[in-house]
Amino acid sequence: MKDNAVFTSRVLPWVLLLPSFVILLVFIYYPALQAWVLSTYRSNLFLNTRNYVGLDNFRLMFTGPLADKYIQVIVQTFVYGALVVGLGLSIAMVVATLASQNVRGARIYRLLLIWPFALSPAVAGTIFLFMFNPDIGSVNQVLDALFGIKPRWLDTPLLAFSLVVLASVWKNLGYNMVFYLAALQNVPKELGEAAAIDGAGPIQRFFRITVPMLSPMTFFLLFTNLTFAFFESYGLIDIVTSGGPVGPPPADGAGLTTTMIYQVTLDGFGGSGNTGLAAALGNVILLFTILITLLQFRYGSRRVQYGDN
Amino acid sequence: MKQTLALAVALLLSVATAQTTIEFWYAFSDAPRSGWIQDRIEEFNAQLEEQGMDYEVTGERKGSYRETLEAAALAARQGQPPHLVQLFEVGSQLALDSGIFKPIGEVGGIDESAYIEPVINYYTLGGEVNSIPFNSSSPIIYANQDLMAEAGLDPEDVPETFGEVLDACEAGDAAGLEANCITFPLHSWFFEQWMSEQNALLANNGNGRDARATELLLDSEPALRIGQFMADLAENGWYSYTGTLEDWGGSEAIFANQDAMFFITSTADAGNITRAAADNGFAVKTGLLPIPDGVERNGVVIGGASVWLTDGHTTEELEVARDFALYMTNTENMVSWHKLTGYYPVVNDSVDALEAEGWFEEEPNFAVAFDQLLETNANQASAGAVLGSFLETRTIIGEALQRIYNGADVETAMQDANEEANARLAEYNANF
Repeated sequence: MKDNAVFTSRVLPWVLLLPSFVILLVFIYYPALQAWVLSTYRSNLFLNTRNYVGLDNFRLMFTGPLADKYIQVIVQTFVYGALVVGLGLSIAMVVATLASQNVRGARIYRLLLIWPFALSPAVAGTIFLFMFNPDIGSVNQVLDALFGIKPRWLDTPLLAFSLVVLASVWKNLGYNMVFYLAALQNVPKELGEAAAIDGAGPIQRFFRITVPMLSPMTFFLLFTNLTFAFFESYGLIDIVTSGGPVGPPPADGAGLTTTMIYQVTLDGFGGSGNTGLAAALGNVILLFTILITLLQFRYGSRRVQYGDN
Repeated sequence: MKQTLALAVALLLSVATAQTTIEFWYAFSDAPRSGWIQDRIEEFNAQLEEQGMDYEVTGERKGSYRETLEAAALAARQGQPPHLVQLFEVGSQLALDSGIFKPIGEVGGIDESAYIEPVINYYTLGGEVNSIPFNSSSPIIYANQDLMAEAGLDPEDVPETFGEVLDACEAGDAAGLEANCITFPLHSWFFEQWMSEQNALLANNGNGRDARATELLLDSEPALRIGQFMADLAENGWYSYTGTLEDWGGSEAIFANQDAMFFITSTADAGNITRAAADNGFAVKTGLLPIPDGVERNGVVIGGASVWLTDGHTTEELEVARDFALYMTNTENMVSWHKLTGYYPVVNDSVDALEAEGWFEEEPNFAVAFDQLLETNANQASAGAVLGSFLETRTIIGEALQRIYNGADVETAMQDANEEANARLAEYNANF
């Protein structure tokens, strides 16, 4: 197709971009800037105080008696993020591939698989909380009947952590599936057919054709899922575990399911309202996100295959 | 955005009712207690109407105590403060420092001598009463007498010390009792109470009452005794909880389900637990909060919550708000409040009224709370600590107890907790 849509005016593109810019400016850039300013102040939500302290908030996090806590929180956020993204995308890709097969009732399966998308993190958390309640939850009733075991999902540190990961993966599954299903529509059928003629089995076709052809979408979903893990996991974690329980040593500096964003709300709203410290931690998350994004574009994008190349 | 929304809502409301609304924010989520408040609001509004006053009190539940305080602070910053806010005792210093509240002493019209002494003491700082006492309680032990009998224990002999609790647990094990020994919410509140019982301060400078507290005392001898009790329970698997910190409902469910022989919780649950025991068909007996062995019982901190007036309203609005709070806590209402919940009736007259009608003979489970109150020595330990970072401190203590439950060394856990709590306190104090 010949690309003949040319803007004749130099002003028009900017005018068309203006609405997006205004929204970004007001709701993203300006608050982000304010968070940076706030992180250099000792500021309290209840007292409405604001004293300039330079980098003291960052020092408080990384040196002294609180360092163990914050470093643990950062490490476990990365583990949580890696699991949510890794498991989430793998499962979504496999399930989407299966759901896009031409079988009877495929539309219904797809619909059922996508619906967690519509849930808020808090609702997803509540569903898991009910299902995995150690005493009355349906999961333990089944496990008890079959194997005579009743795992303590919420107070055994590793189980609680796994449960939060599982709930997050499930919550994002619908979202990831929608994108993968759409992307699968664009994978040319001939590729699969040609490979099948050449003797490639279904598993080989999945890894050699589907996975590479979906890579642009994976690249995109990587960011959205990471953003969820870093910035939006609060509601789910608050409902399921409230950030606890404290892990076994050496991970006993903080609740094992306390992610950075959960710690931000604990500092800013949960205690005596140390908003300066909360802003500082928020900025640490932002820095990590920027860093990962840069690394992704630098190294990850090489492996992304766009169909029309 | 939020302000515009709030404005829009406010406009809509003002169109719907020409009356001035007096907003009361409270923290109860259960039907009996929030229903009781709503009933009082309706009665008071009827009185206002009779007097031809153009005011209407509205009550709104704002979540937990923590969330209620946050909501009030944010609303005040946005210029839309409610008139009355129910705040828990540990938020007192924070509320005072925030400057968004108006001490009731300044508005006047409150008779301090009418209140039970330990209660009014908690809310008096620097000689001024800050808030109107409302729901006050202390922790007691509830025993499932059926399970005690099953364990071969005398069901009338409820344990009074840590040692007696441990002995009873051992007896339960020996008798092959299926239920666990004891449950209580993993909550710093109990730790604070156990400190007071040992006449030990939680923070320096007289629990923060002589001057602003600058250091916590979480690694002191009395504190370690409490940690050791937790360790003893954990080591033998005698303690049961849901795994979540501060899960009141969870522990109550464990006890109501007969999955634990003993339950330590607030006197305020006496009503709920008595009802649950009746529903599930077991006998329950209450006892004084068990304390460490070999210490003299100093008494408890009469904690709970009080009602604060917020600044930024006209004097007349504040007076109506105050009148409502005083109506809600008058003699007659405190009698019904106590009977419903087990919270202390905070005015002396209502205690007399309950005695006169023979309530305590009828309901010995409710009487234990009063014995505990009468046995409490009035000193700085039992007045309770005031510190700005009390909320963080509570989480830190809760996590330390959880660590001990998971097998950590008691002394190390408490020292770490103390360091962390001191860092948070220093951070808070640096605001001034």
